[in-house]
Amino acid sequence: MQMTAIGTVAITIVLLGLFLFVRAALAAVGAQLLDQIEVSAYLRPDATQAQVAAIARFLSVDPMVASAQYVPKRQGLAELRERTKGTIDTGLLTENPLPDKFRIKTRVPDDVPAVAASVRRLSGVDNVVYGQKIVARLLQLGAVLRRIGIGVIIVFFAVAGIIISNTIRLTVFARRREIAIMQLVGATSTYIRLPFICEGLLDGVLGALLAVGLLAAARAALWPRLLEALPWAQLAAAPVDLRVFAAELILVGAAIGFVASWLSVGRHLRT
Amino acid sequence: MISLRGVSLVYPNGVRALDNVNLEITKGDFVFLVGDSGTGKSSLLRLLYREAKPTTGEITVDGIRVDRLRRNRVPALRRHLGVVFQDFKLLVDKTVWENVAFAMQVTGAHTRDVMRQVPRVLDLVGLSHKSRMYPGELSGGEQQRTAIARALVNNPKILLCDEPTGNLDPANTTEITALLLRINLKGTTVVVATHNQAVVDRMRRRVVRLEDGRITTDEERGYYYLGLGQGQVLSG
Repeated sequence: MQMTAIGTVAITIVLLGLFLFVRAALAAVGAQLLDQIEVSAYLRPDATQAQVAAIARFLSVDPMVASAQYVPKRQGLAELRERTKGTIDTGLLTENPLPDKFRIKTRVPDDVPAVAASVRRLSGVDNVVYGQKIVARLLQLGAVLRRIGIGVIIVFFAVAGIIISNTIRLTVFARRREIAIMQLVGATSTYIRLPFICEGLLDGVLGALLAVGLLAAARAALWPRLLEALPWAQLAAAPVDLRVFAAELILVGAAIGFVASWLSVGRHLRT
Repeated sequence: MISLRGVSLVYPNGVRALDNVNLEITKGDFVFLVGDSGTGKSSLLRLLYREAKPTTGEITVDGIRVDRLRRNRVPALRRHLGVVFQDFKLLVDKTVWENVAFAMQVTGAHTRDVMRQVPRVLDLVGLSHKSRMYPGELSGGEQQRTAIARALVNNPKILLCDEPTGNLDPANTTEITALLLRINLKGTTVVVATHNQAVVDRMRRRVVRLEDGRITTDEERGYYYLGLGQGQVLSG
């Protein structure tokens, strides 16, 4: 009976751990991508020197702008050649198709749309591009993940709590004769509760330990394969300190065990 | 010591177990509560150790208003009473010693006090030589004596017995009743609910008779059945 409780709690915490990890990974990747977002402000072919200078001044005083670099078309072409080496033969180009541009980076990814909008209004600017769709989606993803995360965590807690609570209730029921005798002899509720609370705690902690073990094993086995398939996943590893994470999961297990058994014994004693 | 005034007990299913009961028991008394099954003897005792609350009336036990007691104060009340049951209610996975010691341990007593007191009460009930045995290895009489020892281990002023000889043969019944008398002679107030006519008639103590939840008679040196003292003899 106890093994079932421990096992089921373990599975629940494994799922919780996986969910939290994936959520953290997505958030980290999203943040990394957003960090690398460049705003490209393409200039009109007929932009004057004065207009370019005005744009540069505007960018240097804007508090949301972290850096702004003027990229003349020749440099742009060289960078393009470098980036597409091996896939496209730029030697086929007879003339430079690229315009002059400003490469802008913002301090905070969330400011990208605002900065782009203000730069677009300046004279001499032809178009401002920053991968609008991707940025909007990533920002939305971040917000949604945060909201779902809390709901999911509550559900996981509830499930594990219910499982432990049921196990404890079965144990309490099996020992109801002894509990009745203890009450008749004058034992306080706390005294009677204690062994059951300990059992609940133990169930929670053991379940969590098992879960941590499974997660660690899964990570050791699958991480190399994951990196092979998705090289950029490496970025996700950094923000999650695994030892702290494991300790947190064990604390979660203990807390669920304690609360669930407290409540289920209490319900019996009241009758 | 024990006082019931205007006490009525009506169970949720409508059964009126006790009806306007008035009873005073002084310190050191030995009282038999008699009446056939279902007349309210057990219910009355249950009110005294707060297994049930009276529907109306006041109950005072050793100065404490038991009917008004808060739920979390009930364990403390029970530690000052000793209660003995027809089915002994021993913990089957504990030895005689452990069963008796348990009642002390739940009060938070020091181990050295436990080590001193438990042998004393076991000696009183005559079970010193069986302290390591389990209830399953004992006779009915021995199990009841263990239960009595447990009831006495905290030196209660009052001992409540609900059909203590109900599961015992006549020989054990006599023994247990004699034990209860000895305990009473040491100063403990003893209340025994019973439908054992032989015991009551032999002992000639205070007899409180219950019928349909009401106290019908209360005699100082009574018999189980009314009027026997006047030479009436029951047939059979």
